[in-house]
Amino acid sequence: MPDFSPEDNKLALKVVFYGPALSGKTTNLMQLHSLLNPERKGELMVLETRDDRTLFFDMLPIGLRSRSGLDLRLKLYTVPGQVQHDSTRKAVLSRADGVVFVADSQVAQQDNNAIAFGNLEDNLDKVGLDIDALPMVVQFNKRDLPAVVDEAELQARWAGTPWAPLAMASALQGTGVIETFRTLLDRLYTGIDAEFDLAGKHGIDRATFIGRLSASHGVDDA
Amino acid sequence: MRNFEDDPTLSDLLTPDQLQRLSNGLSALCRAPVVISENRAGDAVPVEFNLETVGWLSGGASAVERGAAAELVSFLMLFVAKYRLAANIHHDTTEASYAELQRQNEALRASEAKYRELSDQLQQKVDEQVAVIRQTQQELYESARLRSVGHLAAGVAHEINNPVGFISSNLRVARDYVQNLEPLLPETAENWELLEDFHDLLNESIDGTDRIASIVADLKTFSSIDQADNALCDLNSLLRSACHLVQTEHDHRLNITENLAELPRIPGHPSRLSQTLFNLLDNAARAVGEDGRILVRTLADNTGIQVIIQDNGCGIPETIRSQVFDAFFTTRPVGSGTGLGLTVARDTVRAHGGQLTLDSQEGAGTRVVLSLPVQQGS
Ligand SMILES: Nc1nc2c(ncn2[C@@H]2O[C@H](COP(=O)(O)OP(=O)(O)O)[C@@H](O)[C@H]2O)c(=O)[nH]1
Ligand SMILES: [Mg+2]
Repeated sequence: MPDFSPEDNKLALKVVFYGPALSGKTTNLMQLHSLLNPERKGELMVLETRDDRTLFFDMLPIGLRSRSGLDLRLKLYTVPGQVQHDSTRKAVLSRADGVVFVADSQVAQQDNNAIAFGNLEDNLDKVGLDIDALPMVVQFNKRDLPAVVDEAELQARWAGTPWAPLAMASALQGTGVIETFRTLLDRLYTGIDAEFDLAGKHGIDRATFIGRLSASHGVDDA
Repeated sequence: MRNFEDDPTLSDLLTPDQLQRLSNGLSALCRAPVVISENRAGDAVPVEFNLETVGWLSGGASAVERGAAAELVSFLMLFVAKYRLAANIHHDTTEASYAELQRQNEALRASEAKYRELSDQLQQKVDEQVAVIRQTQQELYESARLRSVGHLAAGVAHEINNPVGFISSNLRVARDYVQNLEPLLPETAENWELLEDFHDLLNESIDGTDRIASIVADLKTFSSIDQADNALCDLNSLLRSACHLVQTEHDHRLNITENLAELPRIPGHPSRLSQTLFNLLDNAARAVGEDGRILVRTLADNTGIQVIIQDNGCGIPETIRSQVFDAFFTTRPVGSGTGLGLTVARDTVRAHGGQLTLDSQEGAGTRVVLSLPVQQGS
């Protein structure tokens, strides 16, 4: 849930990158850190083990300040994917405002995707969030690899869900990462605007929200 | 409690000592002393961390020095905060796991308690069933024994009845013959004495056969062989037969006083009632020994009849009084009885809708009151 503190006019939102181990969640975040050039961007905090596996989580804070003085923060988290870190996943997932589910496109990883998705459903339930109401994007990563499930097949399979169309990405190469993020911002905006009247009170309409939070180096703002 | 992800303040990240040490180090590097605080001072520049201004740095010889020092502090904060975040989430998840563990433990304990209770109940049910089975088995055994003893007694009684009958009537005819012979014999003192003796012999024999006949009659009453399982019973006659049989068992040495009122007949199972009365009398006989007294009384009013068997024997010690109805309890030497007397007696009385009460005082005697309703059931 959004964390609004009226005394400093600060609104903090939380987005969690969820998915099976090694699907590319940390890589997504690292790419966002280097590709994005939003108004305000903090340090990427990586809490990892020696072999680069996420131990607790990664966190990247970004933000913007509206003319009305609203200090809007977005904290992007990843969770550790390995089974044994379930309690950490639950702690990170609690009070999330949006989720990016990073799936691994490789044929051999489809079972792991399904298990992780089931785990997401369980944990959302446990922390009191409704998967159908929560803004969420499902990304199929590692499109650069040869043995991946065909995109048309994936899109068809997910067509009947609230998460269609799927986002395709190669986080390693940096493609599709910003697009995924923008789709999430789009879905996130609706609920936040309804609750805090971003457009009316703070002059932040949908395009501004998406554009200013996902401005990237070189490329034009959306 | 604060969330692990809440933005940390300067004092969350560094202790006053550490902050002092940091200021000292920076002061030594700069050309003028440097101060870090949570409050903004005149020339202070913000120390930022994660888009958050965590403190203010003032002093130094120039804006460049202040800027560089603030940047260095921010850089340090990153690692301090990393540790802090990791520690916080570790703490949170450990606590959550522990709480979960406790919940599971609680649930486990609750279900364990439930199962224990269930198993206790099961054990109790099994015990009850075992008791019922054992009881039924005993009763079955007892009634089978009773039946075979009854049959034997009835058979013997029947076989004896005929010869005793003709012996008795022959003896009476013989007595008449002797009387007829009397005037025909020469009147000598010797003959007269012979005849007198002959008379006595025949009279004693007739007495003997009468006694045999009455024992046979008692046996027949006791075994109730010629009665249906359910018949109208005359308790007084059952009681008299039982008394005679107990006397026979104890070589006619018992001092039994009968004081029987007129009783209405009651519907019942004659042979089981006989066995019951016999058991009670036999208990009394064993309690009194050689020179005690047994008083047998019957009473009737419009609700029911009572049979009271009272003895002035050894009584039943208080400590075992509650056990006397236990199926296998006996105070007699092993082998002299099954201990079933009172249990079977009580069950029989209950089956007739009545009640058996026992009143005893050690050393003074025992009084057993058997109450039976006149009208059974309804
Ligand atoms: N080929 C390929 N490898 C990727 C891609 N994204 C991540 N990886 C690799 O997958 C491994 C796990 O990535 P990481 O981001 O640590 O996964 P996480 O466990 O989800 O955080 C690393 O070796 C990455 O280099 C991708 O799009 N393509
Ligand atoms: Mg990771």
